[in-house]
Amino acid sequence: MFMGNSIRSILLVIMAAIILSACATKTTKKPGDYEISKISGDTYTGEETVKYLATGVPDRVFFATNKSILTTKARDTLRKQAAWLRKNKNINITVEGHCDERGTREYNLALGERRANVARDYLMTYGISGNRISTISYGKERPVNPGSSPLAWSQNRRSVTIKAN
Amino acid sequence: MKNKLFLVILSIVVFFAKNSFALIEVDITRGNLNPLPIAVSSLYVESKTSEALEETDLGAEISKVVETNLLRSGLFNPLAKDSFVQKPDIAHLKPRFEDWKLIKAQALVTGKINIANDKLRVEFRLWDVLAAKEMMALAFTTVPTNWRRIAHIITDKIYKRLTGEEGYFDTRIIYVSEEGPKNQRIKKLAIMDQDGANTKYLTLGNELVLTPRFNPTNQMVTYMSFFRNLPRVYLLDIETGVQEVVGDFPGMTFAPRFSPDGKKIIMSFAKDGNSDIFTMNLETKEVERITEHPAIDTSPSYSPDGKYISFNSDRSGLQQIYVMRSDGSDVKRITFGKGIYGTPVWSPRGDLIAFTKMYKSNFYIGVMRTDGSGERLLTENYYQEAPSWSPNGRVLIFYRETKSGSQGEGFSATLWSIDLTGYNERLIETRTDASDPSWSSLLTK
Amino acid sequence: MTKSIFLSFFFHILLIVLTAISLPHMLRKPIDLPPVISVELIQISDITNIPYAPKAKKILEKIKKEKERIVSEQAPPKAVKKEKPEAIPLPDDVKKQKKIKTKKQNPKKIDTEIKQASEFEKKELFDPNQIAALIDKSKIKQAETIRKDNKITQSQDKNFTTSSLTLSEEDALKAQIFGCWSIPLGLPYNEDLLVKIKLKLKQDGTVIKSEILDHVRMNTPGQAFYKVLAESALRAVRLCQPLRVPTTGYERWKDLQLNFDANEMLKG
Repeated sequence: MFMGNSIRSILLVIMAAIILSACATKTTKKPGDYEISKISGDTYTGEETVKYLATGVPDRVFFATNKSILTTKARDTLRKQAAWLRKNKNINITVEGHCDERGTREYNLALGERRANVARDYLMTYGISGNRISTISYGKERPVNPGSSPLAWSQNRRSVTIKAN
Repeated sequence: MKNKLFLVILSIVVFFAKNSFALIEVDITRGNLNPLPIAVSSLYVESKTSEALEETDLGAEISKVVETNLLRSGLFNPLAKDSFVQKPDIAHLKPRFEDWKLIKAQALVTGKINIANDKLRVEFRLWDVLAAKEMMALAFTTVPTNWRRIAHIITDKIYKRLTGEEGYFDTRIIYVSEEGPKNQRIKKLAIMDQDGANTKYLTLGNELVLTPRFNPTNQMVTYMSFFRNLPRVYLLDIETGVQEVVGDFPGMTFAPRFSPDGKKIIMSFAKDGNSDIFTMNLETKEVERITEHPAIDTSPSYSPDGKYISFNSDRSGLQQIYVMRSDGSDVKRITFGKGIYGTPVWSPRGDLIAFTKMYKSNFYIGVMRTDGSGERLLTENYYQEAPSWSPNGRVLIFYRETKSGSQGEGFSATLWSIDLTGYNERLIETRTDASDPSWSSLLTK
Repeated sequence: MTKSIFLSFFFHILLIVLTAISLPHMLRKPIDLPPVISVELIQISDITNIPYAPKAKKILEKIKKEKERIVSEQAPPKAVKKEKPEAIPLPDDVKKQKKIKTKKQNPKKIDTEIKQASEFEKKELFDPNQIAALIDKSKIKQAETIRKDNKITQSQDKNFTTSSLTLSEEDALKAQIFGCWSIPLGLPYNEDLLVKIKLKLKQDGTVIKSEILDHVRMNTPGQAFYKVLAESALRAVRLCQPLRVPTTGYERWKDLQLNFDANEMLKG
């Protein structure tokens, strides 16, 4: 009886170890996990909704929930925008700040404004005059992805640069 | 031992002594919360002049509005009219209380209307069926087209007489009417009677409009608009339809409300990404800064005495509710529970603050005392926010949004109301999708 | 690449450690389920109706046998079929009652905890509250007896029979009126919501006369809710006629005072 019990338990352990070893991280992209791999730490890292101001100059940066901190990728994008703006001195821009739908309307207006300004401030540190950059917040009013999923929400938390003239 | 025996014999003697009984007191500490059964008889139409042919059903219409109001309050159970024995005209003169008791009515409403010289006169009586006597008798006069308001005023009187609470039926609700695809909504300011009738649109839908609120006299509305792509707080005169921007702010202003005396508008102003609370005097145009903090300060709401302001700030990291004096001093955080809090609204009774709470991907509407204690969550949903109080501080109106599919299909926004006790959660029907509701004060004071 | 190897290694080690810790537990014999505790519902009045000293009891029984007893149809379903003789609380027994009271305090604490839960648990609230009502009732009964004990010293009467209703009789009457009293929900939370109604009753339980004590308060400005509260109490009494009165001892309950207190229901 005692032996039978211990054998059973040992077998369970071996089973569990085998199952665990099967959970390797996927290196190849499969259709099912497309959504998950595009979000890193709650910030969208994909290319789906991104438009381009010029070749190699993405027009938007993304944020984590309730945050207005620029990720490394965001800063990289903004540096590219700054470079493009330095080259095209007569172009003025508007930076739009947006939020996902999972928050109260008024606070989202304020958060969108913060996100827009965080991008503006960063551009200014790269030599772009504040006179060329205006900001506007749309809160949660203009989502780019109308879905109700973490992916949609991550795509909506953004600051988008628009040509103003 | 001897003492005990003496006591026993004494008590036996006392047992037989007549009239030596103290008054028995029985404590009744529980009752039921059943809605009061009330019979609302059709109002008897006394005179029918030839022009008033269309008004023949006015007696029935008015009683129907009263009935619906009472039913929707959750506190009354209006009985089915087909069980009424007495005819409206006789019932109004002298009700046969036995007939009404038979159908289990505890209160009875009767009345009569009279249309002459383009004037509508409505008289009603409220009877206590069990005590078999009249409780209230009132009459009102107005133009015939205003008959709905009379029905609402009558309901307010009945409501107050039977519950002790001020009514909230002669009121209007302003909200944002929404249409179109989820990522390109067309929004218009809309106003309606609290029972959904008389819907009117105040803007055309060419620009985004958000968060409208009444002023204390219910003649003006303050709201936020993206007119000409400049998000600012505006003022609208309901009667004339004239809109004007509030102040001359060099940046986005939003989340506006009136002060209790109607003289100022309090709102958030965003400068260089930071939102702080400001007030502007509508007469002197004087602007006053109320908060000065690098965090987001928004959703300000005055206490009914104008001495305090509750607002939403993320100065401690995430959205929480704070209370400060109306000059901006003495800021105190009042929410410390799990989750994040937003949209604080001070009750017109001054005793509670309603709020939205977000916790573990659920949204809650709740109330708490003004020091943050006694937090009570009234309802939970996938998404709901922005409660607004009825003028008697008993009912909250708010809006909900549904989850939508990947293309935005299945999305809808609807208005809901709930009683302070957490009961009587009710959908408020609107012609289109709706959000950002706000309740007026009583139209008659 | 190295990251995944490292993670895999780490998880394997973790698993081994976990199994090493739990293995001895797995090898132990299964725990026996604790025996099922059966709960027995007993008539509270059996216990809380304080018995006499044996001698006094004998005397009273003798007296009672001389009177004829008819089991009335009015007898409430919950009550004990036999009507107990009146309870004269002897000084010794006061302490006993107090002990029982404190025990019953505990269910009340659980009650408030349930109430503080959020809305989505509200559906469950209905059931616990029903049970809570039962518990509360017994607590009230205990409280009744104690209050009445105090009256021995305070009462203006020289006798000892302050509460002359047995606990089951009181129970029955209360249960009846609880069902008839529609508490107006609009009453203010922070006011004194107590109204006392004095009744003169006929033997069959119908009301001859009703009187609101503190009538003056009905018309005091700012106390408009008192009028509404009083009216609701009167409606309850009228609706409940004939009242569930005891079948005997008309003399002791022909004058009855009902203290309608909405505080518990509204303030919870």
